[in-house]
Amino acid sequence: MSEEQPQRPAAPTKAARGQEAGGKAAAGAASAAGRAANKQPPAPDPRVLAAREQAERLSQAVVEQFGPEAVLESGAAHHKPMLRIVRERWLDAVDYLRTHPDWRLNYVECMAGTDYADRIEVVLFVQSTELGHFVCLKTQTPRDEAWLPSLVPAHPGVNWEEREIYDLLGVDFRGHPDLRRIMLDDDFVGHPLRKDYSVWAETERPLVDGQRP
Amino acid sequence: MRTMALLDEANQVRTEEMLLNVGPQHPSTHGVFRLLVKISGETILDADPVIGYLHRGTEKLAEDLQYTQIIPYTDRLDYLAAMLNNYAFCHAVEEALDIQVPERAEYLRVILMEMQRIASHLLFIGTYLLDLGAMSPFLYVFQERERIVQLFNEISGARLTYNFMRIGGVKYDAPPGWLDKVRAFVPFMREKIKMYDSLITGNEIFLDRTRGVGVYDAETALAYGMSGINLRSTGFDWDLRRKKPYSIYDRFDFAVPLGQHGDCFDRYYLHLLEMGESLKIVEQALEQIPDTGPVLGKVPRLIRIPAGEYYSGIEGARGELGFFIVSDGKDKPYRLKIRKPSFVNLQLLPRLLRGQNMANLIAILGAVDIVLGEVDA
Repeated sequence: MSEEQPQRPAAPTKAARGQEAGGKAAAGAASAAGRAANKQPPAPDPRVLAAREQAERLSQAVVEQFGPEAVLESGAAHHKPMLRIVRERWLDAVDYLRTHPDWRLNYVECMAGTDYADRIEVVLFVQSTELGHFVCLKTQTPRDEAWLPSLVPAHPGVNWEEREIYDLLGVDFRGHPDLRRIMLDDDFVGHPLRKDYSVWAETERPLVDGQRP
Repeated sequence: MRTMALLDEANQVRTEEMLLNVGPQHPSTHGVFRLLVKISGETILDADPVIGYLHRGTEKLAEDLQYTQIIPYTDRLDYLAAMLNNYAFCHAVEEALDIQVPERAEYLRVILMEMQRIASHLLFIGTYLLDLGAMSPFLYVFQERERIVQLFNEISGARLTYNFMRIGGVKYDAPPGWLDKVRAFVPFMREKIKMYDSLITGNEIFLDRTRGVGVYDAETALAYGMSGINLRSTGFDWDLRRKKPYSIYDRFDFAVPLGQHGDCFDRYYLHLLEMGESLKIVEQALEQIPDTGPVLGKVPRLIRIPAGEYYSGIEGARGELGFFIVSDGKDKPYRLKIRKPSFVNLQLLPRLLRGQNMANLIAILGAVDIVLGEVDA
């Protein structure tokens, strides 16, 4: 719920979206923050606290293995432990958490990419079928020259999910065995799930010899 | 994998590599799905699934819609199990907002979801048998499905795309006598399941076509993120209704049928067994449902989710159906991602097809149980 709001680096998003929607969005955000501030002192949700503790333990394990610069942030994503990993260490950290007997995060539930104003974020919800715990792993890449290491060597099941993110968000997954568009035509121009993609782009583009380039 | 098969070992015949295009308009692909198959003689060397023919950009569309407006779009994902899609989305929003759903609504939802699962599994059995050349089961299943669809029509006013679940409950209460009709449906359906069991399960031709075909183990299934019957057919016990109980599934007594061999036959048989378990749940829900009460909880008129990221998944008819919502505190999602079970389950197909006989292609593809509306979103 709203308790983890301070944990989430939402500021750039809001700032960027505030530009288009003017003061209305800023006012909404402010009131949401106000509500969160009112709620927070009396009742910190025990589920959020437990998630944060677990995220802290995970973070320590990853830091021990790959150094302090590997983890950007740890916190909670709605009752679930959340760990933000630097993109250079993305595959290593995910693979480490998959194989290490303490974590055994072997079963990917969902992989999703989101375009924020200043970055593209990829979320991996992964769980352990043996130990029964559940983690939200994140990484991010700048929007220009967006690339991430592919997770296919660790989790072959994200193959199509990565193709989808490549297709709709334009993230280059390095090391992916078969990175092609999956939903859209091979000659489609643009990445529709990016926030600056215009749904009217097709008609805005000028005609060249009677055809759209 | 052989890159070039010059001699078909079994027949000692010279063969040539050839590219065969299955679909996108082919009855056994259950929609617009294209499969580029490289064959040598009758043996499949490689297969490349091509999807996206039905891509409507649901995730992009949702970014411009308020939360309640998204519900009808979920109907059109897996159009054979629209109630489950409705629920999965509403559940994700309810989880994010901690909305309490009234008891009667919860029971109505469970009854509808399990009936939907039966309808969806029935259609799987019908179309799968049709793929394998048996015409009559396909005609039979539509009779039972019609009864379910009629019941859905009475409660929601639609036969296929119901748009019935609401955030915080359901749209309408059951009309008078509706629950009794469902009560009468349970023993009727039980008899029919027995009939299908005796009609199909022991059929020698069917067994020959499906036993030991398209086999994979639990480890592979987990690595490929498979869920639902595709995972349980390997014997791996994973049903979200049990593992992460949502709604009121912890109140019911039902079994999770598991396969043993991970082949196409197990996948067919689990569909049959799961229908029986769904009937058990419907029966118990009919006993426990409160006679009166609201069917829609207290929900703000304009739903705004506090900024944050929320994921929740349910056991759909085809596997884990999840919705991932990124909210920036407005009344529309900043990003909505759908975890589509058919899409994920389909990934293993090329691996399963390699080295198989061409005739097995249909048997293996059919058993994955895909709905293209969901694969392509």
